[in-house]
Amino acid sequence: MIRALKIAATGMSAQQLRVETTSNNLANMNTTGYNPRRAEFADLHYQQVARAGSVTASDGTVLPTGVQLGLGVRPVAVTVELTQGALTRTGSDLDLAIEGAGYLEVTMPSGESAYTRDGGFKRSAEGVVVTSDGYAVEPEIVIPTEALSISINGAGEVWAYFRDNPQGQQLGQLNLATFTNAKGLEALGGNLFAETEASGPPILGNPGEDGLGTLRQGYLESSSVDAVREVTELIEAQRGYEMNSKVISAADQMMAAMTQVR
Amino acid sequence: MDSTAYTTLSRQSGLMREMQIVANNIANASTTGFRQEGMIFSEFVRRAPGEPSISMAGSQVEHTSLAQGGLRRTDGPFDVAIEGDGFFQIETPDGVRLTRAGAFSPNAAGDLVTMEGHRVLDAGGAPVFVPGTYAKILIASDGTISADGAPIGQVGVVQPVDPLRLVREDGVLFRADDGVEPAEGARVLQFFLESSNVNSVLQLARMIEVQRAYELGQKFLDAEDRRVRDAIDTLNG
Repeated sequence: MIRALKIAATGMSAQQLRVETTSNNLANMNTTGYNPRRAEFADLHYQQVARAGSVTASDGTVLPTGVQLGLGVRPVAVTVELTQGALTRTGSDLDLAIEGAGYLEVTMPSGESAYTRDGGFKRSAEGVVVTSDGYAVEPEIVIPTEALSISINGAGEVWAYFRDNPQGQQLGQLNLATFTNAKGLEALGGNLFAETEASGPPILGNPGEDGLGTLRQGYLESSSVDAVREVTELIEAQRGYEMNSKVISAADQMMAAMTQVR
Repeated sequence: MDSTAYTTLSRQSGLMREMQIVANNIANASTTGFRQEGMIFSEFVRRAPGEPSISMAGSQVEHTSLAQGGLRRTDGPFDVAIEGDGFFQIETPDGVRLTRAGAFSPNAAGDLVTMEGHRVLDAGGAPVFVPGTYAKILIASDGTISADGAPIGQVGVVQPVDPLRLVREDGVLFRADDGVEPAEGARVLQFFLESSNVNSVLQLARMIEVQRAYELGQKFLDAEDRRVRDAIDTLNG
C-alpha cells in the first residue's frame, strides 16, 4: 500500500514538472525566437512478482504474462520543439529573422561562443553589431559612423551605403551555425544556447546554402509558443495532478481500513 | 486451522497489487507510448481430503492493453507515432527492445536515438543513420526517411510473434523473448506522438472499486475476528 502512495507521488511530481514547463512556455509567449519546451516521461522500473514463463503445473504449463508491478513515472527529457516562429516586421535595419534552420553566433564576455535565433541586434558605442545584452556578433561587424544605411541580404552579406559612395561597401558576412542534434544545445537564458557533447560541434555555413535558412532584414522571429496548445496542456496536467492525489487519498483510506482490524 | 482469514487475505493482497497497478497507470497517464495494464484474478482451488474445497483468489496474470493511444501533434520532424499494431525497435545495452514512444532525434554522431540515447533500428535490426543537416525531413507511412527528397533510411516497425508474452521494462520498453516479425498494416505518422493509452476515468472508477472491495475485506476479517472471540468467550463460560 505504501507503494501505491509513492507511485502516485511520482505521478504528482511528473504533472508538476509539466505545469512548470507549460508556465515557462506561456511566460515566453512574446520572447523573440523562443521555441516551446515539452516534458517527456517514461515509466520506472518494474517489480517482477510472478515471472512470465515460470512453470505453474507439473505438465510444463507456463505463465504466459506473469505479474509485473510498475513503480511509477519519471521525467526523461524536456525537449525543445524546434519550429519556425512567425516573422514580425519591425523595420529596424539591424533586426534579423532566420527563415529555416540555423543559429547566429555571438561571442560572450567569457570569450566562448553562444548561438541564438534572436536577431534583434543593436549597435554599440564603437559601432560593433551586438545583441540586446551587448554581446558581439561573430564574425565581428563594425558599422562606420558615416554609414547612411545598412543592408543585409538573405545570404548574410552586410553592406553599408555612404553619401559619397552610393555603390556601397561590404562590411562582412554573417554565418549561420547548425548542429547535428540542435535539441541537445544547452539553453543559457537570454535567448542564447551553448554547444554540448550531445549537440555536436557547430557546422558553419553561409545562409541559404546546404539546407541552412536565409536571413530576413527588418523582421524578428516571434516566439513559436501556441497558446491554445499550452492551455490544453495545462488543463491536462492539472487534471492529472488531481487524479494522482485521488489515488493518494484512496491508498490512505485503505491503510486506515487495514489498521482498524483488531 | 481456520481458513476463512487466509481466503480473505489472498483476496486482500491481490487487491493491494491491483491498487499499485492502478496507481502506476494513473501516474503514467501522460507518458508517451505507455500501455495501460490490468490484473486478472483467478480462482485457486485447494482440495483437502475429507473437507470441502477452498477457493483462494490468485493474482498471477497481468494484462497489457495494446489499444491505440491518442495522437498528439508536436510538429517535431523526428516525432513519429504508430497507427495500428506494431512497435519501434530500439538497441539498448541489454539487447533489442520494443517501444511505442517515438520521440526520436539525431545525436551528435548522426544516429537516430530515443530520449534516453538508445539507437533506433530499422526492420532488419541495423541502426538508422541521419547524418548532417537537412532543410526538409519527411517520414513516410512505411517509416522511410527522406531528406530533401532522397531516401536515407527507414524506421522499422515490427510486432512480437507472441504479443501476450511481452515483458515490460522501465523507459516505456518491452522485451519480446519469442522474437519479432514485420508489422502488417501499421502506419507511421510523422509530426505526431502517441499519448499514453490509459483511460483515466475507468482507472479512477477501478480505483474506487478496489478501495471499497478492500474495505469490505477488512470488515469481513473484523467480523470473523469478533466471531472467533465470541466463540472463545462462550466456551470459557
